Amino acid sequence: MHMREALEALKQKLNAEDYIADDALVTTLYIAAKLNRPLLIEGAAGVGKTEVAKAAARGLGRELVRLQCYEGLDESKALYEWNYQKQLLAIQMGNRSGQSVNGLFGEEYLLERPLLKSIRSEEPVVLLVDEIDKADAEFEAFLLELLSEMQVTIPEYGTVRARSLPFIVLTSNHTRPLSEALRRRCAYLYLEYPDVAREVQILTKKLPGLDEALAEQVARAVAWLRASEKVTKKPSVAESLDWAEALMALGAKELDEESAPATLGFALKNNDDIREIMADDDFIRSLL
Amino acid sequence: MTISSEAFSEVRDGGEAMAPTPAVKLGGFVRFLRAQGLNVGLRESEDALRALALTGFEDREVVRAALRALLASSRREQQVFERCFELYFVSREAFEANQAALAQAQQELEARRRELEERLSIAGRPIELREDLKDVYARMPQSERDHLRDVVDKYSDKMKHAPKLYEGFIRSVFMRSLMEQQMLLEDAAEGAMQADGDADMMFRDIGSFREADIPKARQLIDQVTRRINGEIVARRKSAGRSAALDFRRTIRAGLSTGGALCRLRHKRRHSRKKRVVMLCDVSGSMLQFSEFAIRFVKSLSEVSEHSEIYLFSEQVQRVNPFALQNMDLFNGYVRSSGVWGRGTNVGRALEAVLAASPAVLTPGTVLLILSDAKSVDLDRAEASLMRAVKRAGSVVWMNPIPEAKWPYLKGVTRLKAHCSMVPCGTLDELARACARLV
Repeated sequence: MHMREALEALKQKLNAEDYIADDALVTTLYIAAKLNRPLLIEGAAGVGKTEVAKAAARGLGRELVRLQCYEGLDESKALYEWNYQKQLLAIQMGNRSGQSVNGLFGEEYLLERPLLKSIRSEEPVVLLVDEIDKADAEFEAFLLELLSEMQVTIPEYGTVRARSLPFIVLTSNHTRPLSEALRRRCAYLYLEYPDVAREVQILTKKLPGLDEALAEQVARAVAWLRASEKVTKKPSVAESLDWAEALMALGAKELDEESAPATLGFALKNNDDIREIMADDDFIRSLL
Repeated sequence: MTISSEAFSEVRDGGEAMAPTPAVKLGGFVRFLRAQGLNVGLRESEDALRALALTGFEDREVVRAALRALLASSRREQQVFERCFELYFVSREAFEANQAALAQAQQELEARRRELEERLSIAGRPIELREDLKDVYARMPQSERDHLRDVVDKYSDKMKHAPKLYEGFIRSVFMRSLMEQQMLLEDAAEGAMQADGDADMMFRDIGSFREADIPKARQLIDQVTRRINGEIVARRKSAGRSAALDFRRTIRAGLSTGGALCRLRHKRRHSRKKRVVMLCDVSGSMLQFSEFAIRFVKSLSEVSEHSEIYLFSEQVQRVNPFALQNMDLFNGYVRSSGVWGRGTNVGRALEAVLAASPAVLTPGTVLLILSDAKSVDLDRAEASLMRAVKRAGSVVWMNPIPEAKWPYLKGVTRLKAHCSMVPCGTLDELARACARLV
């Protein structure tokens, strides 16, 4: 298939999964998948980083395996754990029957965690390593073996090589800088907040009953709030969806000086931000 | 960041001389990126070539997106990549037009430098300037250059009356204008470098913040502390058990399964919030750092349930907690306290804290010292720090000076031997240090 057509097809697939992607994102996703390179996505909270992996999984028809990172995440939560209870029962049964128990560290007693599951799967999956910046640097180093060799080592069991190559998507909110080693192993994508036109597309796609004029007003207002220095917690795409949905529930035909203050809490989730914006005449003027 | 035209033409010419296959084109581009500071390895180049085999060169935007994803691995690198791509992947016509414009700009700069050497002279001798300042003159706006020429013309006639006086005067006017212009050029370059506001600000030296950066920094601190508070709560919930086995509870739970230890019980972590005593250096340049650090600690409600704050320079003063409820008034409060802007005497400040009655430092408190450790009377500071270490549960010293400079500072080397000193030169380091207080 010609390159342009392949990209267009991928775009359509993502679109069918309710993900409105721009050309740069589609190209990056396509190239990363084709070269089987992990994709590192950075951007502010709520721009849709996680959604890229979900939409890619649905679009490619693969299972999504998700690993949510947090400080203190270790191998037992991310890779594998031994089923202690089952091992104990096996020993007890062996004692009673007088038979020795073999293979206590075998496949039967291995509990798969997301990383192991993703490489042992017969069918290729999409592995989402979400918010990698929240995990410790040690975990990041541990992940390098998987990213570069597509294999993991379990001391009691041996090295497990990937049965199928997962498409790995890592996301980061840039709360701490990631190591150069990790970055070098990944293709990189920085996601900005969608522009007004794309946000209108997202709103109308996700909320079918939404009037296009109202969607545009919401998109413009959200863009204004994101650009405002007064707003500490910038509204995400999910929050602009919430806002539009709240306006629909109220039966509001447009975003004006009455409906906007009444529903602003759906876009801004911080009392100081709401107070600052309510006191700002420019906000109401921007709606008109 | 500006991209040197020399580097560009060198690389481009090298590429043009060879057959323009995709590999050669890409090789030139990779060399160009490396010349601009991007760390592009062999693996990335290989992947980029494979990507080009897929994309071809027909669609410029597709090529751009593919190469950007593979050759630039951070937002800052992507910004450099964009400028390089614009310069490198151009049509022949646009390339030639660019070259002509660059050559013309270069000629104009040369002409201005010659003008400086030929026309501007004091007492018949050309004005002696460093090469970088000659460049600054050449890049000055026309109005500024005219102004300098006027000054030279106006006072040249008066030279004969008091040659040394007027020569010094003309030179000082010249130097001041050039320095101001140089600062403007540097500011402009810095502004271009800092397009990625939030991310850069977290990793920039706090000492380099300008007045205009402060509100943004305060906002960032609020965001980061909210996140840290949330993470601490989440961690406390998810880490309900520790690695240590609780034998008594495990055996007791095993009774219900006939003595088989099916369910292992682990010891629970005791998470008790700490009582923090902060000793903040507000001598001159330390004020901004102390304000940020106090904001962090005060906002981290999950770290400490109670904090006491002492401000010190040569004097020490206990802060009324109500006065700091509104941190926006911190600067005004400190400036009017009489403590601000003097030298630093850590020893005296620690002695005041140690002498407080009822006792402020107890085994349940964390003493947090915010200072660059450039103190007078180091013997006294060291002795009182050792006493404080014995009295308090732990002593953490947050130092805004980069760790690389510590070996050269006597105060730091002597004082860090007695407590845990952490570098906190950036907001990111400060946030991490505060989060570690848990």
